[in-house]
Amino acid sequence: MRSARILLVVLGLGLLAVGGVVLLQDVNPKRYLGILTWFVGALIIHDVVIAPLVFLVTLVGRRLQHRIPAAVLAIVYGALAVGGIVTLLVVPEILKKRIGVASSSILPLDYGANLAVFWAAIIVLTALAVLLYRAMARSVQKTRSPSTQS
Amino acid sequence: MQRLLWGIRQSLRAPSRNPRSAVVLGRLLGAAFLITFVTGLFSHFIQNPLPGMRFLTRPVWLYQVSQGIHITAGILCFPLILAKLYAVYPRLFQTPPLTGFRNLLERASIALFVAASLVEITTGMLNTYQWYQLFPFPFRQTHYALAFVVVGSLAIHIAVKLPIIARYWRRRDALDASGEVAPLPVDLEDGDDTAGRRPLPAAGITGRIFAWVDGAPQPERPHLARRGFFAAVGAAGAAVVALTAGQSFRALDALNVFAPRKAGVGPATLPVNRTAAQAGVSRVASAPDWVLTVRAGQRSRTYTRAELAALPQHDVDLPIACVEGWSQMARWRGPRLRDLMDAVQAPADAFATATSLQKGSIYAVSRMEPEFARDPLTLVALELNGETLDLDHGYPARLIAPARPGVLQTKWLSRIEAT
Repeated sequence: MRSARILLVVLGLGLLAVGGVVLLQDVNPKRYLGILTWFVGALIIHDVVIAPLVFLVTLVGRRLQHRIPAAVLAIVYGALAVGGIVTLLVVPEILKKRIGVASSSILPLDYGANLAVFWAAIIVLTALAVLLYRAMARSVQKTRSPSTQS
Repeated sequence: MQRLLWGIRQSLRAPSRNPRSAVVLGRLLGAAFLITFVTGLFSHFIQNPLPGMRFLTRPVWLYQVSQGIHITAGILCFPLILAKLYAVYPRLFQTPPLTGFRNLLERASIALFVAASLVEITTGMLNTYQWYQLFPFPFRQTHYALAFVVVGSLAIHIAVKLPIIARYWRRRDALDASGEVAPLPVDLEDGDDTAGRRPLPAAGITGRIFAWVDGAPQPERPHLARRGFFAAVGAAGAAVVALTAGQSFRALDALNVFAPRKAGVGPATLPVNRTAAQAGVSRVASAPDWVLTVRAGQRSRTYTRAELAALPQHDVDLPIACVEGWSQMARWRGPRLRDLMDAVQAPADAFATATSLQKGSIYAVSRMEPEFARDPLTLVALELNGETLDLDHGYPARLIAPARPGVLQTKWLSRIEAT
């Protein structure tokens, strides 16, 4: 394992050096501050905005779990995660299209309407999954209860 | 401060935040990064070949598929990286924040890795939306340089975490007798967690907040929560791929509701990247006195559009495949480039340098290796899908060759030189 780790570190440092050389050769140093700003911004957006927001949502779930079955909670979390990630990718398209595009074949779709339909589909599918789970849980309970009584 | 960090870290505990999740997601994300890296290098070098590089001209869809995979895998990185960061987020609040120089290096390298990865995939995505104004740096060069930073940091990250990766690689090693994920062995733990391991007094604002958070119990069925987490990652990955990949893979076109391009939308049912107006060529490209000059050394010939149309015409089916990932098959008609090269007695091993009417763009000139210049499928196209080439598709004449990115299929041709 030791030699594999050394090899990986050497390989990694080599690739980082290539990246550095490309940056030095091909990108004007005046632009480095812009890249740094994006780096810091990316860390802030994830670590200070997205991750705490996700934590708050899970906290609400943890507070509610006495009233909501764990499986239902898992379904709702999943739906929110899928919807959230797709929204993250689609909102910039909506904004860019509003600002303007160079030709009618760039961003040609109605992304806002499609996103609304997508969320509606998520809500319907989530409701169906929850109903299905409750029906299954009930039938399991029914088959179990006579045996416990006998 | 240490207690605060420890308190945050305790509060953030969750069933899916464990080393096994981090390893499983790391494998998937690592694979996606390597796929985007390799396909990205291919795209880079076909546009900026090193001296002596040669490229495959078949299959004709080689670049189309390679770049489609590049963009689709890049989109897939979003759910994967968010899930991976979710799994390891509590480690951000390590106590004490630094345990030594080695730990400082490790944390700095992870900060670089995470930042470079997020910036890489986000700039890639925004570039496909052509939202260039957001970049205070040149996209292509920065995206290329950061690719090495990301993959280099990945190698170092794997080296640092290798004992943990080995420990949790296989499912049966990762779980203990009760079927729970085994806690990280103390010798693999970063930092000294015992430092703040005392219950916080429920006084002061932070104390009260932590007491409130801890009052929210941990999920009762952690196994189910973990299953749910991976199901959600899978569903998010399936959703972002299925709803966008139709721009690159026609079979998924019906599901394409979110990609920045849609098959069949554009002049002659083919999308356009750079319009004639953007390139500033609308007037010169429509001029009746347009001619194409073909030159090899001292020999040169000029062709009007009618003269090109009078040469033997060939029909080829070739895709337009953009670096932005979208692609579409089309039928092109026009004389073969090699016939034009032969007419000026260009040597068989000559490169072809095509110059556009477009000025002041790096895509105004493209250089074609001999294997492409001599290929029977390489045309100076005059027609597209049975119609005269649209001005936005490169009227009066454009290059079309197999297995090359769209940016090299020079539009609004003005000169072709054998070199």
